[in-house]
Amino acid sequence: MSGYNSDGFMDEDYDDDAFEYSEEEEEFGHNAIIGNSAGASQLNNESQTETQPGVSADGPFYENDLLDDTGDFEPVLGSIKKKKAWEVDYMIYDPEELRAKQVNIAARMEPLLGISKEATRLLLRHYFWKEENLIEDYLSDSERTLAKAGLTAYPPPPELKSGDENFSCAICYTDGADESYLALTCGHRFCSDCYRTYVTGKVLEGDSWRIHCPAPKCKVLLGITASRLLLAQDNTVMERYEENLTRSFVNDLDTFAWCPAPNCEYAIECHVPRTAWATTIPVVECKCGNSFCFGCKFDNHLPAPCYMVSRWLQKCKDDSETSNWIKVNTKECVKCKSTIEKNGGCNHMTCRDCHYEFCWICMGPWSEHGQQFYNCNRFNEDSSKEARESISKTRQSLERYIHYFTRYNNHEQSAKLARKLLATTEKNMEQMQRELALSWIEVQFLRDAVDVLSVCRSTLKWTYVLAYYMVADNQKIIFEDNQSDLEMATEQLNGLVEDPIGQDTVDDIKRKIMDKSTYVKTRWETLLRDITTGLQENRWQFETL
Amino acid sequence: MSTPCRRRLMRDFKRLQGESNSGISGAPCPDNIMVWNAVIFGPADTPFEDGTFKLVLTFDESYPNKPPTVKFASRMFHPNVYANGELCLDILQNRWSPTYDVAAILTSIQSLLHDPNPTSPAHVEAANLYRENRKEYTRRVRETVEESWE
Repeated sequence: MSGYNSDGFMDEDYDDDAFEYSEEEEEFGHNAIIGNSAGASQLNNESQTETQPGVSADGPFYENDLLDDTGDFEPVLGSIKKKKAWEVDYMIYDPEELRAKQVNIAARMEPLLGISKEATRLLLRHYFWKEENLIEDYLSDSERTLAKAGLTAYPPPPELKSGDENFSCAICYTDGADESYLALTCGHRFCSDCYRTYVTGKVLEGDSWRIHCPAPKCKVLLGITASRLLLAQDNTVMERYEENLTRSFVNDLDTFAWCPAPNCEYAIECHVPRTAWATTIPVVECKCGNSFCFGCKFDNHLPAPCYMVSRWLQKCKDDSETSNWIKVNTKECVKCKSTIEKNGGCNHMTCRDCHYEFCWICMGPWSEHGQQFYNCNRFNEDSSKEARESISKTRQSLERYIHYFTRYNNHEQSAKLARKLLATTEKNMEQMQRELALSWIEVQFLRDAVDVLSVCRSTLKWTYVLAYYMVADNQKIIFEDNQSDLEMATEQLNGLVEDPIGQDTVDDIKRKIMDKSTYVKTRWETLLRDITTGLQENRWQFETL
Repeated sequence: MSTPCRRRLMRDFKRLQGESNSGISGAPCPDNIMVWNAVIFGPADTPFEDGTFKLVLTFDESYPNKPPTVKFASRMFHPNVYANGELCLDILQNRWSPTYDVAAILTSIQSLLHDPNPTSPAHVEAANLYRENRKEYTRRVRETVEESWE
């Protein structure tokens, strides 16, 4: 495992000052230090051939995969890059690197504890890799610590024995000198067949290092060597065992998480503490390209914090808003309680179910309205006033929700369209190459513009969630100004990209799109930086959630 | 057909027959060795004394690596027995060891009758009475004892 830099990445309090720099002075920090440095430099080489220098390479859209730093011609130092205010430090591990990571931690602890390699690893697992707790307990009472975990400092290597006439397996009761058996340090002997079945069952249930001796209440851990010995003939189960070991490592540590993308086998290490998630959105981008929130494992939801996102999604899922709509837009027939939506016509209603005739305005029976057709004079009676007031209150809150939801939804749909746009863009790019005799590199600006678009769409989408929960004040107005600036520019860029070959000359279009992309990108950065600092400073009031 | 599970169940049966006077008995169904009927006699000096409580044990081929399903066929009033007869017993769930056999299971259940665990109740009313009104608890248990004779 290389590339685990000692530049403060491991510091627990690293993020306190990470966000303090302003627009003018950006610090150099580490970000997305991909475990394998050889792989990282390889990526960089690729990026330099594929990306047109100065156009987009130093933009925020490749931030997390080391593909930037090509804007200027400084030597590219693998992992060093400008860190934006809203970005967090993290590392990506493939399964091999995860295994190496475990070995490394164990190797570091081994001389401290002075016990066998295997015992060290199992003890670490028993303590969920919390090295401080382990050392503290171990130093105060080493024997008790080991016994509690079901371990021995230097256990004899497990081996299958046979040739004891008195042996009888306590599981299947087969006996005799021919039976091969295994016993751990506790001395409980079981025949190798029963042991194998037992371990296989446990492994297929997802267990790995927690498997202990099958004897009742015996806490002695089977250990990794013994498991390997028993499963030597069964490669699938053995593979599963190794998988479970790695899985439990990632699951046992708060600072590790699996990338939630289907079939992705990378894990991410991120040290943004849980307590900071309300103001910092720990968005990480996996090597597989999936960008997600380390906190809630949901898709990248910058700039809305996790708790707000889960509230919002719950609200959108709930049918509470549907019932609100029904409440506002429909009335019940006084007689048969059928739900009625008035979609036209006069106030003289006739229920289709029970044929009751009533007035839509006051809900009273139509017969009482006498000859004053279409002019309900009962409108001002107290009871009808009250009813209408309660309706208008609900209507206001619903309208507010719908206002934000429409915009949120619009950007979500547009982001989907942007993905389609990518396909069209590729076609356009080919067309331009063919018709205008441009080189491949010269039409890349279109693709970059589409990338910019989809990132901005996602950000804009979540700003509406933030705005929905934000209490209206002057700060909110500033926030909304920033938001609408970005939104307007994004829509303009969208328009330019969708039909690039118009009447203008290619050079004009290219210049326009590139200018607009750069502008949008700047707006995007400004908005995110502003929101990040705003959240840290508690600049906005949010509805109590 | 002989499988490790069936061979083991035959051994269990022999061992159970050897344990006389221990207040437990059981036997596989004549036509299916995977289903057993068992009887636990209520332990002396408990409200369950003199009761003959019937149980059904259902095994599958994963036995003895996995525990059987155990259910009371008689009506029970006990903090750790659900109303439908299923019981909440650690050795039948996460504390299972493949070395347990039918005799061990029945003995454990017998001692559970003797020693209920009201902190993780499967039957809330029984648990509350056991803690707060032992007299009423005893009366309700005695009702089930009398029912068990029928």
